[in-house]
Amino acid sequence: MGSTQDKPQLMINGKRLDGRGPADLRSIKIEPNVVKNAAGSAYIEWGKNKIIAAVHGPKEALPKHFADPERAIIKCRYMMAPFSSLEEHGRTGPNRRSIEISKVTKEVFENVVMLELFPNTEIDIFVEVLQGDGGTRAAGITAAAVAMALSGIPMTDIPYAVSAGKIGDTVVLDMDKLEDNYSDADMPVAVKPLDNEILLLQMDGSFTKEQLKQAISMITDAGKAIREVQEKAIRKPYEQIIEKYQK
Amino acid sequence: MQTIVVPGEKLSDSIIRIQNSTVINGKTYSTIVGLFSSDKNTLIPLEGLWHPAYGDTVIGIIEEYRLNSYVVNLNSPYKGILITKYVQDQLKKGDLIEASVKELDKTKTVVLMRSRRLTGGKIISITPSKVPRVLGKGNNMINEIEQSTKSSILIGHNGVIWLKGGDMKLATDAIFRIQEEAHTSGLTDRIKGMLTSGS
Amino acid sequence: MYIQSATKEFINDLISSGKREDGRALDQYREIKLTKGVIENAEGSAMALFGNTKVLAGVKIGIGEPMKDKPNEGNIMTSAELLPMASAEYEMGPPSPDAIEVARVIDRGIRAAGMIDTSSLFIEKDKVWEIFIDVYVLNYDGNLFDAGTTAAVTALLSARMPKLEGESVVREGLNSKLKTNNTVTSCTFAKAANKIFIDPDANEEEFMDTRITIANDGKEIRAMQKGLWGGMTAKELEYATDLSFEKHKELKSIINKTLGE
Repeated sequence: MGSTQDKPQLMINGKRLDGRGPADLRSIKIEPNVVKNAAGSAYIEWGKNKIIAAVHGPKEALPKHFADPERAIIKCRYMMAPFSSLEEHGRTGPNRRSIEISKVTKEVFENVVMLELFPNTEIDIFVEVLQGDGGTRAAGITAAAVAMALSGIPMTDIPYAVSAGKIGDTVVLDMDKLEDNYSDADMPVAVKPLDNEILLLQMDGSFTKEQLKQAISMITDAGKAIREVQEKAIRKPYEQIIEKYQK
Repeated sequence: MQTIVVPGEKLSDSIIRIQNSTVINGKTYSTIVGLFSSDKNTLIPLEGLWHPAYGDTVIGIIEEYRLNSYVVNLNSPYKGILITKYVQDQLKKGDLIEASVKELDKTKTVVLMRSRRLTGGKIISITPSKVPRVLGKGNNMINEIEQSTKSSILIGHNGVIWLKGGDMKLATDAIFRIQEEAHTSGLTDRIKGMLTSGS
Repeated sequence: MYIQSATKEFINDLISSGKREDGRALDQYREIKLTKGVIENAEGSAMALFGNTKVLAGVKIGIGEPMKDKPNEGNIMTSAELLPMASAEYEMGPPSPDAIEVARVIDRGIRAAGMIDTSSLFIEKDKVWEIFIDVYVLNYDGNLFDAGTTAAVTALLSARMPKLEGESVVREGLNSKLKTNNTVTSCTFAKAANKIFIDPDANEEEFMDTRITIANDGKEIRAMQKGLWGGMTAKELEYATDLSFEKHKELKSIINKTLGE
């Protein structure tokens, strides 16, 4: 939440500064298999966010006392590159924010990955934010889900994430950095689309009960479009080759 | 008709018994990226790990020597164990071996038998789920590659392939192409063409 | 990906007969792809692909204090991150000695060649411009030194220079460029089976006996780093040095072409 002083006007006649309506997403593109050495990987451009997600494993869980004889464990590293912001050079290494985001990202995947198939192993998820412009944890989860699918590790569904927020009294979707700085609420949510189960939810600011309900329904509506981009990216490597020989 | 499916994609409105699927509220969904054939009732993973089974041939690298056994890297989350007293060759770290799976213990450690040291040549690894395609029906694909390239090739079910002699580069290229195009039809003819034209 | 290695025997046999696994000559680089301006938020950036080695360099410029021993000069700080996604061998955690070596070798070439005149970064007493170069290894397939230097140098050559307005740094809507003096390039050679070859990939690095990196600006040698346990003769060093000047032209023309795009 930014200060209320010098607050720019973020909505004019129902349109946001970049021309979007309240429920519109920024443009989302996903490119599969960008990291050769990973089991699965994906590069996402979500608005001005540029993020690489990759999955390694399953491999022997280390250190050994971390291993669970019943299921695989997931480790996650979310990190912002020091050159990712338009402002000052960022500090390298994990901080409290990145450690928390790593944890909630890991928990999203613990819900959908079929961990019981790989006892005693670990699966690593890496989310590297190369350029950030608001909503990086949601974009990172969305990309990591594509990477996980491409790795061949079985999962019950492909989760997506997006955040809802509030500008003045209007509930909006997918805020960029500027909007986020001056918004009245921010709520990143990850969803399992098969049954619309909520896998991640964080929120700060202020929502009435009605606004929360509206935000959730805006998220699940937008989820269909996000899922489509994810699926397209997952199918792309295989369909490209099929098309090549159908001509 | 085969279609590409992704995790969470519905395979059937009812419960069907098929590998790599899950049932939610009486409907069946895929858990992997795979090729689904509703008439044959099969779902073949397009990416995937090796699930060790008794009798599988594997190729691995000796990773360490313990009291009475060797630990073998099998290109899998799980290590292979080779009991020293059943091993004829003197093995050291980094050696390549071929062996077969004797048993799987509860922790999914793979106990190996009938090992043989492989000397020279090189190894490559492919997605284990593509191994049957590289072998071909009645081994016809791999025979074709061996004859054309004069390379000796051993294929492990764990996705590790050992090549020695002949045109190893052409053989490697052919194997990687099969891996990449495994889900397409007419592959055998394309590989034959590639091998005869040499590119 | 758990196994991606050939054997030492295999690599040595190939190299001793003057060949390489991917069909290259011993004095040949892999295909190099270079793109600038991939991260708009950074003052400068470039992505370099050397075969399957993929490196992203980002340049940020800000205000800081000068080093105590150089009160009238600005700072250049180079870091390298071997991202854990880039290789099954890399781990999460603080920078490894390998990452630090990569950063320092890249830094030394840029610094020694005087690519940036650090005295021009002086603003006033206790206030100087600081240039941060961050090299991000996204995928490892050998030769991080050359890929890292190429990306970092291209990022610097294409970087915009921020402006100081009062106390605040203005980074947007400017067309002033960071002043640079020359183009430094780096060439890394490996030795195996008593032969010297350029631009080793991951397999070759695994089995090489020794390695040397030579940075030059087209006129003079500017930085060198020998690595690993194996030795190297004076004659081999001379051969590598000569070739590094020849390759400087090749690398520089790739960089210039990218800058012109």
